[in-house]
Amino acid sequence: MTTLIAAPAPPRPAEHAVPWRPMARVTWLQRRGLLIGLSSLLVAAGLAIVVEHLVTHASRASLLANGGVDTNAFQALVIALNVLPVVIGVFVGAPLLSRELESGTFRFTWTQEIGRTRFVLTTVALLGVFTAAAACALGLILGWYAHPFEVIGVESQWQPGLFDVTAVTLGAWTLFALALGTFLGAVIGRTVTAMAATAVGVGGFVVVSFVFLVHRLLAVSPLVTSGVSPSGMGLGMLNVPGAVGTRPFGGWLVRSWLTGRGGGELSAPVANHALNRIEYGAKGSQDLTRLLALHHLTFWVSYQPADRLWIFQALEGALLIVLAAGLVLGTLCVVRRRA
Amino acid sequence: MNVVETSGLGKRYRKTWALRDCTLAVPAGHVVALVGPNGAGKTTLLHCAVGLSTATTGSVTVLGDLTAGSLDALERVAFVAQDAPSHRHLSVGAMVGVAANLNHRFDVEQAKARLAALEIPLHRKVGKLSGGQQAQLALALALARHPDLLVLDEPVARLDPLARHDFMALVVSAVAEEGASVLFSSHVVSELERVADYLILLAHGRVQMAGAIDDLLAGHALWSGPVDEAGAVSERLSVVQSQQAGRYAQLLVRTGTKAQAPSGWESVDVSLEELVLAYLRQPSVTTLPGPLNLMALSSTEVTA
Repeated sequence: MTTLIAAPAPPRPAEHAVPWRPMARVTWLQRRGLLIGLSSLLVAAGLAIVVEHLVTHASRASLLANGGVDTNAFQALVIALNVLPVVIGVFVGAPLLSRELESGTFRFTWTQEIGRTRFVLTTVALLGVFTAAAACALGLILGWYAHPFEVIGVESQWQPGLFDVTAVTLGAWTLFALALGTFLGAVIGRTVTAMAATAVGVGGFVVVSFVFLVHRLLAVSPLVTSGVSPSGMGLGMLNVPGAVGTRPFGGWLVRSWLTGRGGGELSAPVANHALNRIEYGAKGSQDLTRLLALHHLTFWVSYQPADRLWIFQALEGALLIVLAAGLVLGTLCVVRRRA
Repeated sequence: MNVVETSGLGKRYRKTWALRDCTLAVPAGHVVALVGPNGAGKTTLLHCAVGLSTATTGSVTVLGDLTAGSLDALERVAFVAQDAPSHRHLSVGAMVGVAANLNHRFDVEQAKARLAALEIPLHRKVGKLSGGQQAQLALALALARHPDLLVLDEPVARLDPLARHDFMALVVSAVAEEGASVLFSSHVVSELERVADYLILLAHGRVQMAGAIDDLLAGHALWSGPVDEAGAVSERLSVVQSQQAGRYAQLLVRTGTKAQAPSGWESVDVSLEELVLAYLRQPSVTTLPGPLNLMALSSTEVTA
């Protein structure tokens, strides 16, 4: 065999340095269409919120003046943003590795100098930063859009649904969805199946969060007060915003109950019966709290004060990010073992 | 230095062993052909060498003592997988960009010059290229990494004869320019001699024969002579294959470097294709530990 002199190699980058810039270029080259499409979608969603808010501002003001408000468009937007993590998981996360595995191109990318672990990690990280930043921006815009509704007490960022699409939680949900999709793609190795599994997985988590998790989370260590009028608040599991005229404003009312003469809690049917009887007998502007006191009854609520909102937001966000990190680690294990 | 060295290498997929007890050393500076029937374990061995597969048993190192698949190894080993998988939705230019950003030694100008010489336009989608062009693109991307070891898995399996010729010509010329070692698998035995100078024959997941092609050819011969004397020959030497035509027998004999044909027998050189095919037909026959040590082998190791 003839042996000739090989061309001198350029200096090698620092040991184990993560080549972020080259990988950003690779991610762009490999996923240009997806990134452009996704960016267009997110920008369109942001613009839609801004335009809707500005265009309907006047009519909303007049509705507010007349005591009524239309929240249909707002609700539709909240639902759409709740679906956003599913979209990210299905269209960005699931195909990320499953397409490489299915088409066999992993035999090209994983044998390049960068190595499979750094390739997967940097790609996920770059896409995570991009999608999470876009989701945070949308969450911020939605918060701005939601503010007038919050001021009049018809909507609250504490509500399940809205709670999951703030700048903090929507970004975290997006990271979680991306990580879950990537993990399922690595395990399943088939694009369509991985996309379907991700839709079910992320969608399931979103629904469970809406129905169950947020309620559970917000019931942790509430404050308790008896200085609230029971007027219009009902009994039992309230889970409503602290509406105007009802203190604590801007908080989240978790539960309400009545206590009797000895301080013991009345069962819900007994309490409702007593409350209805007293309300029925009340005349005009009589203070309901005072009437209750006359009957040796006290109305209590447990609630989360307004200033705890971002603590709970951070809690859910951290939980989702920890789950996402675990899924990324799991993905790396699968990728390393995949042979 | 050995460019690939395995010791007791085994790879099991669930209950099936794709490769077993594979011990070999491929010296540097060769174009090595890895030959064997389908399912022999060629792809598994190559995947272990480039780090795509992890060994179930044993070990594999490349370029001296680098662990296969480690970052140090990946920097110096380039791999073209079977069917040369590329991102079909990307343009050729984008594929060059991807490869350039994944390898710090990547020579963009060289890759573009090779593609231009092959008349593969940079703007064309990879999926629109012919099979031959896709293979050439994969090879150009691998060569532009200036590898010390180039590993090719069935690079010409799906190519027509002309594309096959062009592909291997590019391999040979590039190796001459770069001084890299090459390990390629193939089951197209007819063209091995023109390209390779070292041969590894795999059968049923084990190494059946390994050595420099010149040594292997020099250590074998086709002897023709009376059929009633064939038994005496096979007692003295290892007979890989015997054929009988009337009163004459033709034996493919492992002669080593010294053995002469008995009087009354005619000896002719064996071609590489004949040699490979004979061993492929007798998968239990092995030359290991190498053709130069044939005389040390006992006759019981050989089935004729």
